[in-house]
Amino acid sequence: MNCQNFEKLALDLARNSLLDATTRDQGLIHTEGCERCAARLAEERALLARVRAVVAEIAGEEPPARVDAALLAAFRAQTAATASSTVIPAFGRSRHWSSWKLAACAAGILILISVMAIFWKSTSSRMPRREEQAVAPAPVNTPGHPAAPPDGRDQMAAEQPKILPKRVHRRESADSPDEVEVVTRFFPLREGEDLTTLDSLQVVRVELPGSAFGEVGLPVDPETVNEPVKADVVLGQDGMARAIRFVR
Amino acid sequence: MVPSDAELLRLMLAGDEQAFTALYRRHKGLVYRFALLMSGQASVAEEVTQEVFLALLRNGRRYDPERGSLKAYLCGTARNQVLLLMEKERPYVQLVEESDEGDAVQIAQLISGDDPLGDCARNEANRLVRQAVLALPARYREVIVLCDFQEMSYAEAALTLDCPIGTVNSRLHRGHALLLKKLRAAVRLDSATPDAQGMRCFA
Repeated sequence: MNCQNFEKLALDLARNSLLDATTRDQGLIHTEGCERCAARLAEERALLARVRAVVAEIAGEEPPARVDAALLAAFRAQTAATASSTVIPAFGRSRHWSSWKLAACAAGILILISVMAIFWKSTSSRMPRREEQAVAPAPVNTPGHPAAPPDGRDQMAAEQPKILPKRVHRRESADSPDEVEVVTRFFPLREGEDLTTLDSLQVVRVELPGSAFGEVGLPVDPETVNEPVKADVVLGQDGMARAIRFVR
Repeated sequence: MVPSDAELLRLMLAGDEQAFTALYRRHKGLVYRFALLMSGQASVAEEVTQEVFLALLRNGRRYDPERGSLKAYLCGTARNQVLLLMEKERPYVQLVEESDEGDAVQIAQLISGDDPLGDCARNEANRLVRQAVLALPARYREVIVLCDFQEMSYAEAALTLDCPIGTVNSRLHRGHALLLKKLRAAVRLDSATPDAQGMRCFA
């Protein structure tokens, strides 16, 4: 064995690592004839002895009691949270999931609408604004239904209806006077918000998938769930969607 | 019969407080001392210990006993936490540590014991070793702390550090060479300028 080979072996010899007996013997024999390598091995052994002394010195060092207490509190809190979620009855869990899903879908629609509104704003600033986009379309009274307020704001503040098809208003389409549009009332998108208190509102016509009916509690036709439906979205000054109505 | 780590962990995740306490008591020292040797600061070691066991509470199900020991898993988490904290405080690193409390503790340690002179020499030697370890680049320091101070096998250290065994081996050799070099330098420096201590390498 030469010094170069011994150098690779020195640490394992000092650590008493599991070595092949022949290799170990060759290494030790080499140190008998090579002072430099003997000193190298002694140095490694001295270093490990110092390391062991440090290990002994810090053997009793442990985290303070406040860490123990904090972790125990965290464990108890987590266990309590897990236990409370597991004792919820089945119907409670499904309701929770349903409302969560609904909230997620509503958030998705709001984001979509906001993006479309921003897009609309940027395009409308470059093009002459059409009057029917800047003001809320005035619902036309239909026989058997109460008169709708002229600016549509009171409708938005009204409570959310349960059924869509029967609560419709008609108006003439701004694009073609001969075509008659059927519109629902406005459904508020932010619970508890009084839209009449807002300074200015803007109505934007958008297209959404048929599944959007479900987001405001209206029945969804499975056959038309992916078909686009027109909707008027009321935007506040901050560009956030406040209410929506569907158009046919 | 002493329950295994895996069994205690299973019970802990099922909400057994005694299992959590047993698991924590079994490993808290290991994690704390690893963080202490890696960082050189008790406050960091405290924070790391807390984070490691909080992570075990949150993500304990991710631990796979077939991949390795819980000890290696916890040290791996601790190592990541230490590196994260060191990275955070990197812009504020203090080259010369000044701690009145630390000095007071050291002086108290130096004068304690039946053999004050012997204690003094031992403490001084230990202090030099710890400082030399702290001055190593992190990749060598962590291998030395795991293999030499925590007496982990190369295989366990490789699992902890998520690297091949060959890498552990080569880093340990290189780390030892650097450590010896620093110790030789520290002994010379220490006798000349006692204030130039407490340097920690963040390379």
